[in-house]
Amino acid sequence: MSADPTAIGAVRRPPGRWALRLAGWRDFARRFLRRPEGLIGILIIGFFAVLALVPSLFVGPLELVTSSSGGRLEPPSWAHVLGTDNLGRDVLNLTVHGARISMLIGFLATLVTVVIGASLGIVSGFVGGSTDTIIMRITDFFLVLPTFVLALILAPIVLEIIGNGEILGMRTTLFVIVIVIGITSWSTTARIIRSQTLSVKERAFVDRARVIGAGHWHTMRVHILPNVTGLIVANAVLVFAGAILTETTLAFIGLGDPFAPSWGQILGASQDAGAPGLGAWWWYVSPGVCIVLVVLAFTLIGGALDDLLNPKARGHR
Amino acid sequence: MGSHYLSRRILQAILTIAGIVLLNFVLFRMMPGSPDRISHNPNASSEARAAIRARWGLDAPLFPDQFVAYLEATAQGDFGQSFKFKGKDVTEVIAGRIWPTLILFGLGELIAIVVGLVLGAYSGWKRGGVVDYAGNGASLILYSMPYFLLGMILLVIFATALGWFPTAGMFELGRTYPTFLDQVADFVHHLILPLAAVSLGLIGQYSIVMRSSIIETRGEDYVTTAKAKGISESRVLRGHAVPNALLPTVSLIGINLGFIIAGAITVEVVFSWPGLGTLTQEALEARDYPVLQAIFLILAITVVLANLLADIVYGRLDPRVRT
Repeated sequence: MSADPTAIGAVRRPPGRWALRLAGWRDFARRFLRRPEGLIGILIIGFFAVLALVPSLFVGPLELVTSSSGGRLEPPSWAHVLGTDNLGRDVLNLTVHGARISMLIGFLATLVTVVIGASLGIVSGFVGGSTDTIIMRITDFFLVLPTFVLALILAPIVLEIIGNGEILGMRTTLFVIVIVIGITSWSTTARIIRSQTLSVKERAFVDRARVIGAGHWHTMRVHILPNVTGLIVANAVLVFAGAILTETTLAFIGLGDPFAPSWGQILGASQDAGAPGLGAWWWYVSPGVCIVLVVLAFTLIGGALDDLLNPKARGHR
Repeated sequence: MGSHYLSRRILQAILTIAGIVLLNFVLFRMMPGSPDRISHNPNASSEARAAIRARWGLDAPLFPDQFVAYLEATAQGDFGQSFKFKGKDVTEVIAGRIWPTLILFGLGELIAIVVGLVLGAYSGWKRGGVVDYAGNGASLILYSMPYFLLGMILLVIFATALGWFPTAGMFELGRTYPTFLDQVADFVHHLILPLAAVSLGLIGQYSIVMRSSIIETRGEDYVTTAKAKGISESRVLRGHAVPNALLPTVSLIGINLGFIIAGAITVEVVFSWPGLGTLTQEALEARDYPVLQAIFLILAITVVLANLLADIVYGRLDPRVRT
C-alpha cells in the first residue's frame, strides 16, 4: 500500500542515490540506442560476444591437427563453408573459436589499461603538485614511445617472470599479451581522465566534502570517480578497439599461441604459409572480416558515446 | 617569446631521449640472452664468456661503471653483435635495412597526408553529401583494418590473381639491369603494392581527424563572418577553415607516428620488403635481442624527433602556443 504514491497520507520519499543513478543510466541507454551507429555497434558486439561465450555450440570443439575434418587448403564448399587451412582444419571452426581468444584478450587488456590509466589520471589530477608533475612526465614519455616495438621486447621478459603454463585455465602466453598491451597503452586514458578530474575537482561539492573533513581517498572514490565514469566507459570502448588491433598485430608478427589461435594468430599462420601467394584468400579473409567488424563496432559505439557525453558536440546536428 | 617555446620543446625531447636510453639499459639487462646471462651460460666456451665479461665490464658495479660503459657504446653506435647473423655488428645489420623503410614510409606518409587531408576537409565541409558518406564510410573501414590485412588482400588480388605486380621483395631476384633506369622501374614496380597498403591505411586516420576538425571550425564565428562578407565557398574553406582545422591534425600526425610503426613492420612482412620491419620479425623469430633493442632505440628516437618537428610546425602555424 505504501508504494502507492496517490494514497492519502503517503509520504513521497525522494528517490535514493542509486535509484537516481539507475534512472540516469536507463535514460542514457535509451538515447544511445536511438542512434543508428550505437545500435549497429551493440548488435555486432553482441553477436561476437555470443560466439566467444559458446563457440563449441556452433561449430563443435576446436579442430586440431589430429582432428582436422578436411583436406589441405580446400576452397569454400558446402562441407567447409569458409574452406580449410594448410592442415585441413575448417576455417569457420577456427574463426569462431578465434572469437573467444581475441575477445578475451581484448577484454582483459582493456581492463588492465583502463584501471592503470584511470587511477593514475584521477590521482594525478586530484592530488596535483609534484605527484601530478611526476605522473604526467611518465605519461608523456609513454605517449611518444613506439609502444609496439617496446611490446615486442617486453613480451619475452614478462613470459620469463610469469613462466610457462596455465593460469585459471588460460595459457600464460595469452596473459603475456594482456600485460604487455596494458603496460604500453594506458597513457592516453590517464591524460583524458586527468583533465576531466581537474574540472570535476573545481565543483562546489568537492569543496564542501573537503570542508566537512573528507580525506583524499574518500573524495576521489565517492565524488570524483562517479563523475568521470562516463568518460572512462567511453574511453574503454576505444581502448578495446585498439587492444584488438594490437593483439592482432602482435599475434601476426609471431607472439601468438598456435594452441590458442586468435584471429591475429590465424592471419599470421596464413601469412607464414604463404596463403596470399597461393591464392588461398579464404584462409585469412574470414578472420580479417571479424577483426574489422569488431574494431568498427567499437569505433561506432565510441563515437556515439562521445556525441552524447560531449556537450560541445551535442549542439551540432 | 618564440624561442622560449622552442627551447622548452627541445629540452623535453632531450629528456625523453635520455629516458629511452635509460629504459633500454634496464631492458638490456633483464632480457633473456643479456650479456650477464650469456656470461653464466655453461654452453658458451670459457673464452667467449670471458670476452663478454670484459666487453660489458660485468665485473664492475652496475652503476655507474656498467651504465657509463653502455652509454659510451651507445653513443658510438655500438649495439653489440647480432645473435642471428653470426659475427656481424648490429649496426651493420641494421644499416642496410633503413633506407627501404624510409622510402616506403616517407612516400606513404606524404601521399596519405595530402589525400587524407583533402578528402577529410572536403567531406567535412560538405557534411551529409555523397562524398562525405562514401569517404567517411571507407575511412572508417580502412581505419578499422590492420595494415597487413589490407596488404594481404591487395597482394592476392593484384599480384596472385591478376599478376600485375610482383608478390615479394624490392627487386627481381637475379635480374641484371642494362641501364639504371630499368632498375628504378623494377623498384617502382615492386614498391606500388606495399606503398598502396601503407597509404590507404593512413588515409583513413587522417581523413577522419581532418573531417571532424573541419566540422568544428565550420561553426566558428570567423567562418560565418567570412561567408557574410560574400567570400566564395572555396576561398572560405581554403583561407579560413582549413588553416585552423589543420592544427589538431598536425599534432596527431606526430603522435600517431609511434602507432604507425606497428603497421609499418607488418606491411613489410607481407610483401617481404627488406626493411626494418622484416628485420624486426626475423630478429623476433631468431630471438635476436641485440638487434631488437637497437631497432627499438632507433625508432623511439625517430618518433621523439618527429614529435619535436610536429611541435615546431604547430608553433609556426598557431602563434597562440608560442609562449
